[in-house]
Amino acid sequence: MEQPYIYILDPYPQQAPEQTRLYPFFQFLRDGRLTTSRCKKCGTLPWPPRVVCPECMSDELEWADLPREGKIYVYTVQETGLPPGYDPPVVFAVIDLANGVRLLSVIEDSEISEIKNGADVELIVKKVPQDRVMPAFRLKR
Amino acid sequence: MRRVALIAAGLTRFGIRQATYRELIQEAGKAAFDSNKNVSPKDIEGFVLSSVFPERSAFQSHVACLAAESLGVRPRKLFGRVENMCGSGIVAIRTAYTAIVTGLADLVMVVGAEKMNVPVPTEAALNMITGLDRDWEGSYGLAAPPMFALSAQAHAAKYGTNEEQLSMVSVKNHNHSKNNPYAHFQKGSTMEQVMCSRMISTPLRLFHCSTMSDGAAAAIFASEERAKGLTDKPIFITGTAQAAHGYAVANFHRDLSHWPALKEAANDAYAMAGIGPDDIDFAELHDCFSIAEIIAYEELGFCEKGEGGKFIEQGLSDYGGKVVVNPRGGLIGCGHPLGATGVAHATEIFLQMRGEAGPRQVPGAKIALSHTNSGPGEHHILIFEKGF
Repeated sequence: MEQPYIYILDPYPQQAPEQTRLYPFFQFLRDGRLTTSRCKKCGTLPWPPRVVCPECMSDELEWADLPREGKIYVYTVQETGLPPGYDPPVVFAVIDLANGVRLLSVIEDSEISEIKNGADVELIVKKVPQDRVMPAFRLKR
Repeated sequence: MRRVALIAAGLTRFGIRQATYRELIQEAGKAAFDSNKNVSPKDIEGFVLSSVFPERSAFQSHVACLAAESLGVRPRKLFGRVENMCGSGIVAIRTAYTAIVTGLADLVMVVGAEKMNVPVPTEAALNMITGLDRDWEGSYGLAAPPMFALSAQAHAAKYGTNEEQLSMVSVKNHNHSKNNPYAHFQKGSTMEQVMCSRMISTPLRLFHCSTMSDGAAAAIFASEERAKGLTDKPIFITGTAQAAHGYAVANFHRDLSHWPALKEAANDAYAMAGIGPDDIDFAELHDCFSIAEIIAYEELGFCEKGEGGKFIEQGLSDYGGKVVVNPRGGLIGCGHPLGATGVAHATEIFLQMRGEAGPRQVPGAKIALSHTNSGPGEHHILIFEKGF
């Protein structure tokens, strides 16, 4: 008998239009665009994206492109102890995009020995189960 | 303002326990009632439970009523569960404190409990990512070890804090927990053992990390008036504060080696108690990872910013130093059943103030600080003073 889909065993974000109002983020990401919500009233550009502006409580938001390049502030290489479904090593990095927006992501498709604080990185689209996507980065080529 | 006294406390052994969630609650509750024979379950007016994810690890929600029923408590003035990830225990105590200060209740029991270990150990790691920003960060597999490793990397880059200094925290706390029969780890450790243990997330090795332990702790608080009839050894909460500056790692303070939310909470708690960091005789600090204890020394004002590594190196956080940090062994020595940890701090403070801590007794302990974090951006503090 096939096991039904159990939501609490699925660590990845819900991305479909019937699940999240932020579904355009994931559609843009498939096209290689990194975006977030921008408040039409006060211009706040938060990360992660919202449906209400955390600074002025406006719900008049629009999608804004973020730079696809940034620098590693700090990183760590996790070698053991990852949750099931995640294979080591995983390189977690705090990335400052060129416009100052900061996000936590992973560095993939790169030589781990070449990863350094301050290194330039560029966006890649990471495929995760059930045809979903997440932003990730690699050392700039 | 009405004063609030800690009048009873007890806990279970922490570790990989052959016991269920509700059995741990019963053990800890009994230990608390055994510590003060003047209080019985039927006297308890308020009941606050601290538990982080029993829905996942024990397949049980609606746990406050379960815990109360398990202990024969029928609360009628205050009742509920709190969940703030790893710092939940202090949040539960603050809830009890607030209820007593306002006069809502005179006698409130706090229980913290967590069943961390499940048959397949990696399931616990999956449970842990629910405590981070699951949609935007946890879904990369990010749990607590890499999150704190990022602070360690920032601290190393800015202040030169090194692996030896990180390891000294672990050796100190493992050596303290040798004297604690309730600790998960009671064999002590050497620098070599710590520095050769397997890498978890650079630069944090296995022995730099607290561990997944099952356990529970319980404490009973009373108004000053009610306490008079129940104990001649009250321990008063004289200061308490909290601060949160961010949930996602992306939204923590830009400099990850600085935890300004902790500094802010500490200063508020000191001001409320009318004391400063030099007045603290011993501290129960949230050493979920060794770097967390080092940064806490700095933000709590035990040393200058950036000097936390030297503070451990010079032995200033050990017996005979400036302030004894984590005499029970901390989270690294005792283990970290999430919801229980902050309440276990109160249990240690109860024993130390009464001079009942045995070989780990801090001589002349009169003022203690308890700190828990719920990640680098969120901190909770209590200050206790001996009232006898």
